[in-house]
Amino acid sequence: MLVKPKAKNARSKRFLVNREPKVVENAKTAIIVRGSSTSQVILDTLKDLYALRKPNAVNFTKKNEIHPFDDETGVEFFSRKNDCSLFAVGMHSKKRPHNLILGRTFNHQLLDMVELGVEKCVTMKATGAQSCAIGARPLMVFHGETFAQNETMIMLKNILLDFFRGEEADRVSLKGLEYAITVTAGPPGANGEPGLVFLRTYTVELKKSGVRQPRVELAPMGPALDLRIRRVRFPNDDMWKQAIRVPREIKETKVKNISRDGLGDKYGRVHVGKQDISKLQTRKVKALRQRLDNKPSKRQKTE
Amino acid sequence: MVGVALGSAGPFVKLQKNKAYFKRYQVKYRRRREGKTDYYARKRLIAQAKNKYNAPKYRLVVRFTNTDVICQIVYAKIQGDVVLAAAYSHELPRYGITVGLTNWAAAYATGLLVARRVLTKLGLADKYEGFPEIDGSVQEVEAIEDGPRPFKAFLDVGLKRTTTGAKIFAAMKGASDGGIFVPHSESRFPGYDNESKSLEADTLRDYIYGGHVAEYMRSLKEEDEERYKAQFSRFIKAGVSADDLEEMYSKAHAAIRADPSFQPTAKKADAKPYRRQTPLNAKQRKDRVRQKIEAFKRAQE
Repeated sequence: MLVKPKAKNARSKRFLVNREPKVVENAKTAIIVRGSSTSQVILDTLKDLYALRKPNAVNFTKKNEIHPFDDETGVEFFSRKNDCSLFAVGMHSKKRPHNLILGRTFNHQLLDMVELGVEKCVTMKATGAQSCAIGARPLMVFHGETFAQNETMIMLKNILLDFFRGEEADRVSLKGLEYAITVTAGPPGANGEPGLVFLRTYTVELKKSGVRQPRVELAPMGPALDLRIRRVRFPNDDMWKQAIRVPREIKETKVKNISRDGLGDKYGRVHVGKQDISKLQTRKVKALRQRLDNKPSKRQKTE
Repeated sequence: MVGVALGSAGPFVKLQKNKAYFKRYQVKYRRRREGKTDYYARKRLIAQAKNKYNAPKYRLVVRFTNTDVICQIVYAKIQGDVVLAAAYSHELPRYGITVGLTNWAAAYATGLLVARRVLTKLGLADKYEGFPEIDGSVQEVEAIEDGPRPFKAFLDVGLKRTTTGAKIFAAMKGASDGGIFVPHSESRFPGYDNESKSLEADTLRDYIYGGHVAEYMRSLKEEDEERYKAQFSRFIKAGVSADDLEEMYSKAHAAIRADPSFQPTAKKADAKPYRRQTPLNAKQRKDRVRQKIEAFKRAQE
């Protein structure tokens, strides 16, 4: 356990305050860690993951004796040191070749993680395609109904979404939609265990179409990964509950009589009270005008 | 580097940088080690603000060499920076500026050139003319009512000092007058008085047309003819006198606006393609050292 450092000057105090829990949290940072032995496939994968995560990522260029499934203290320590809640650890062994572990921490405690075998990796460099801007947010598509059924796949989807979501924005500029990630679930194995997962990245090209809406084309960007799910660590129920809690300050207060449909269209229900007819504005006719005060009319004056 | 505990004669020096230090020592990024990139500034220049909804961000990169001014419009991608458009002051002779290719006025013209070039490329050249009339006042490009917003780029000064009157701001002024929206203020232009916090527009106008050069030419000619001939030898050779400068620049500005396109220089027919030297391998390197040592020994005898 690390002792909480004490700020010695204003700058370090600002730094520490920035790390403290907030109502709206900072963008999640990821650490990209190499295990004690790595293969070229894993190094390529980690490199590309780092590129996609930039600038909210810390790349570890040296090897680390780290095995999150056997001993979680290592990642927890790094998580605290680097103030990050996402990690990708790559390693390679005879028993588990090209091993990639993606996981999350909450409050610098391990939350959940999934171990993936990288069966194929086509890097960004190998495709030689145009890449996207630094810090761009991807569009993500998940194909396959197992992503809604299988517990492991649901978690994998959740982790991947968290990993690539980047900085939060409530709107997006069309020019900012620069790349897309598709994740496709392959056919499951004989015993119902999840099959291969195909992760593909594409750049989105907005071409001229003649009309106002551009013609959209996708071009492979890289990395393209074929992943085999290995070990999985599910989150502890209590910790999960804490992790997904939305602070009261930003919880949407329910507004009466206003609803939204699936497309985001807003519907309002209006209750009309009983109408007061006595105050109804009718047509003004001179003859009907009441003289409230006893002012003499013009005609009377002349007389 | 390593603190060494001296023998009994010297004072005890604590070993500060031990083996563990050097084992864990991590070098800085290459461009930092070479002293070429300010990563603090770069990080802030390429990352788009959170409330800008992922829109791409462009930089107006201005760099100076001994003989050239380089202006580029650059945006950052994951794999590296991409140059959208570039202009060099060595292209300026095409527009009539034959001498003084690194001075304030040349930097302005290069900035103007890159701005017109990028706007032509993006098809905004007609919509955003910038400010063709130069009166030395500071204006920023504003969005037209019905049409696309202006092209926005942020000035990237690199490692240059951002002093008042620095040439980087000449290029920025040129780009801004050329129709790119470069957010800036008046405080770094020549003619700005820090005490009264105001800009003397005439001085700035003078610099844009090389007035300061003309003034120096006149004064030097009067004082010391010999030095004038040495200092302005190329101007004399090109037949440019102090009185011609303003006309030369104003004509060049008009020419740039008329045709900002890039024209590659004609290559000589017998020019060999540039080939990078292949580095020596370890054996060759060692052999070279051995030969040098032997040659040195022979010389000693």
